[in-house]
Amino acid sequence: MIEVSDLRKEYGDFAAVEGSTFAVEDGEVFGIIGPNGAGKTTTLKMLAGLIEPTSGQVSVAGYDADDTEMRRRLGFLPEESPLYEEMTPISYLTFFADLYDVPSDVAEERIDETLSELDLDHRERQLGDMSKGMKRKVAIARSLINDPDVLIYDEPASGLDPLTTNYIIQFTERLAEEGKTIVFSAHNLFHVESICDRVAIMNEGSIVAKGDLETLQAEHGETEYHVYTTVEVPDSVKKNGRYRRVVNSMDEVEATREAATEAGGEVVDIRTEESSLEEVFLNVAESGRVEA
Amino acid sequence: MRPRKLLRIARWEVTKNAGGVDKRTLAVAGLAIALIAVLAPAVAAQGAVLDEGIYRVAVDEDSRYYDVVEENPTFVARPDATREDLGESVDLYIEDGYVSPAASPKGRAAKEELRSAVQAYNNEQLRQEANQSAAFPVSVSLEYREQSQAGGTLATDGEDPQQVRDPDNRSDNRTGDGTPVDGNGSNATDGTDGTDGTDGTDGTNGTDGTDGTDGTAGAPNSGGLGGAGSAISGDGDSVDSPSQLSPPFPFESLVLAFVFIIPMNFLIQAYGSTILSERLNRRGELLLVSPVSRYEIIGGKTLPYFAGAMAIEAVIAVGLTYVGTGTIGGLVSIAAILPLVALFLAATFVGAMFARSFKELTFVTVTITVGLTSYAFVPAIFTDVTPIALISPLTVVVRDLQGQAVAAPEFLFSVTPPLLSAIVLFGLGAGLYREEDMFAQRAIPLKVLDALAGPVRKRWHVGAMVAVLLPFVFVLQLLAIAVLFALGEVSIPLLLVVVAVVEEIAKSLPVYAAYAHKRFERSTVSALVLGAIAGAGFFVGEKITQLAQLVGLPELAQGQAALQIAPTDVGAPILIALFFLPLLLHGVTAAISAVGASRGKRAYVVALGVAMLVHLVYNLAVLSEVLGNV
Repeated sequence: MIEVSDLRKEYGDFAAVEGSTFAVEDGEVFGIIGPNGAGKTTTLKMLAGLIEPTSGQVSVAGYDADDTEMRRRLGFLPEESPLYEEMTPISYLTFFADLYDVPSDVAEERIDETLSELDLDHRERQLGDMSKGMKRKVAIARSLINDPDVLIYDEPASGLDPLTTNYIIQFTERLAEEGKTIVFSAHNLFHVESICDRVAIMNEGSIVAKGDLETLQAEHGETEYHVYTTVEVPDSVKKNGRYRRVVNSMDEVEATREAATEAGGEVVDIRTEESSLEEVFLNVAESGRVEA
Repeated sequence: MRPRKLLRIARWEVTKNAGGVDKRTLAVAGLAIALIAVLAPAVAAQGAVLDEGIYRVAVDEDSRYYDVVEENPTFVARPDATREDLGESVDLYIEDGYVSPAASPKGRAAKEELRSAVQAYNNEQLRQEANQSAAFPVSVSLEYREQSQAGGTLATDGEDPQQVRDPDNRSDNRTGDGTPVDGNGSNATDGTDGTDGTDGTDGTNGTDGTDGTDGTAGAPNSGGLGGAGSAISGDGDSVDSPSQLSPPFPFESLVLAFVFIIPMNFLIQAYGSTILSERLNRRGELLLVSPVSRYEIIGGKTLPYFAGAMAIEAVIAVGLTYVGTGTIGGLVSIAAILPLVALFLAATFVGAMFARSFKELTFVTVTITVGLTSYAFVPAIFTDVTPIALISPLTVVVRDLQGQAVAAPEFLFSVTPPLLSAIVLFGLGAGLYREEDMFAQRAIPLKVLDALAGPVRKRWHVGAMVAVLLPFVFVLQLLAIAVLFALGEVSIPLLLVVVAVVEEIAKSLPVYAAYAHKRFERSTVSALVLGAIAGAGFFVGEKITQLAQLVGLPELAQGQAALQIAPTDVGAPILIALFFLPLLLHGVTAAISAVGASRGKRAYVVALGVAMLVHLVYNLAVLSEVLGNV
């Protein structure tokens, strides 16, 4: 659905994005994470055709990013919700439905449906009088007004309270279940981890790691084995009447078993702990590894 | 561009802002419109008389001054008043042809006003004569003078009936119909001073009457009241500069121009705000990502303001025509005002694209208001005084509303530069209407460079960009003529300086912008090539100024100096040389600036100064010498 090849964007002497290459499959949820200034937003805007790349190729749904037809099939949600505050949700969404050539009866039905799903009341209130969360919901509704195949969401839950954030993440999950192709960025890695099929980690304009969560954990994360014994072994700590030793390989697990047997005890439990995406991200960022 | 999308955005622009206008703004706008609605028809119908009936005159009905007093709304005739009332209930007392003013400032002012009224009355009487040549005989005095380098060479010789100077060099009167334009000026109207000669109270003015017969197109004495200038009568045909004229202030032209210019100044405030609000807080980002082009967005957002402005101007034009003539008309006025409306909006659009905040926008709109109002309004006031007034489309409007014919070349001369400038401004602004530029908080000069460098991708684009800037150069030069020509011959060298400065900036700025945006390699060879291309682009575009020959502007020394129009009565080799010399000049000076631009800002400033100097020397020495010898 989305093909990005050797994407580069320069502002004067500064390269905001350099050499990004990735692909997003139809119906996939693809996350882009990274610290501030990593190039996430610039990348998303190049996908949406808002920013012209200095070099490289972008194809969305088979169209170039600056193709009007591509825009018809795209729903874009910027990090902020810059709405026209003198309008109401209904007039605002109706206007954009017109721009996307959505028939008025379809638009009316879609607006009603989407606002209901987003649990948004006060549809005739001016947008300027609404809370940040409500505005965000209207912005999300606008991104869906053309029933797009591809959604590009930049920090969809940025700056919202936990309740609204959770609501929006759940809503995005539902969109993914409906088969939408979604690319989105987030600072909160828990959100990315919870709904993304694959992730790209960006740092200083470059993609430094990418893949599904298992692959990233395998390549950049650490697996810990918590071995519980009935007797004390080296490097173990007593917990709830048992002794726990944390090791990083199966060889060390075997060595712990042998040590417990020699001490007259035995291993009673072994638990595996995988690295979270956040730990993977920190590992990648600290090591500065660049994936070829 | 798809009309449906454009109209949808236009409709949205109207409905979106409909609820955003507060009652106070509506009240002020309504008051302004009401004021215009009341004032303009009054002016169109009878002229503005702000001092109606302020002087009371004791004059008998059988006095020859009675008709003068009656016909001038400034006076109120009091036939029954006596000498004892002088200074009390009357300001002037007229008996047996003698005028006695009250011993007060108002009395003296009343006497002066009576003198002017007599002049106007006489003039009107003379205009009603069947034989106008007899009514306004022309006497021409020739004097051959050594030509001065600047002004003299550009002035016509004494054999040119269009530019005969009087011996005192006080006026350039030349007329087709013999009607002087000096009104009550120092020359032509002196005959009117016969008024005083008649009453025998002002010997000095009687001397002035000599000037009337001196024949610098002044009207002779007529009867006991003497001749009078035609003032701003509309049938004058002079190229005098204001420094050489003292016409009555053309209040009617002023009000008419004012009526048309005021609504636009209101409108651009709202238009600038709506454009800037798209840029603040990234509000316009979602429109940019929707399936409409930036041109549809700009067109849609501009259309309501353009249509609104044209509707208001059309109502004013048609209304004034109807009040003035009783017929439905004003199409010429409407057509002439269109490019001015477009220019106001285009300048505001670019200004709003440059401004970083509403504070900066205020500065921008004030600058636009002052600049464009000066360009459009001031020349239009002098509609009947000089052909330079035609640089403003408002002049066409005023002439049309005054019932004067406007020739097609004159119309084109007035409307083409502002129309082209508007198109170019919209084009430059549209180049910035994209995510990367419109939300960037860059300083205005940097935004200007962004706009200039935006479309430049190949070398020849620099030449095209320079040519595109020609309407601005033309407008600025015309404005300089209008502003400076009041200074007389001193204006010629000043104009040449303005020409050098404006043209060199126009040629070099796109090159500098291209280098600043790393469009081309910074090398001397590259700079020389770009300079040559920029010079050639300017040369091609400059030929547009030949449009000026369609009206009488080149007959002015100032017009020749600024527009550098070659004479036509010379041989082919000189004509060819005069044709190609500017190409050489522009190529050389643009190359000088380009070399500086390729080496950074400071070098560019220095090189630009050198280029201006070379241009100025060329203008002063070569051009004037060539024109002086032909």
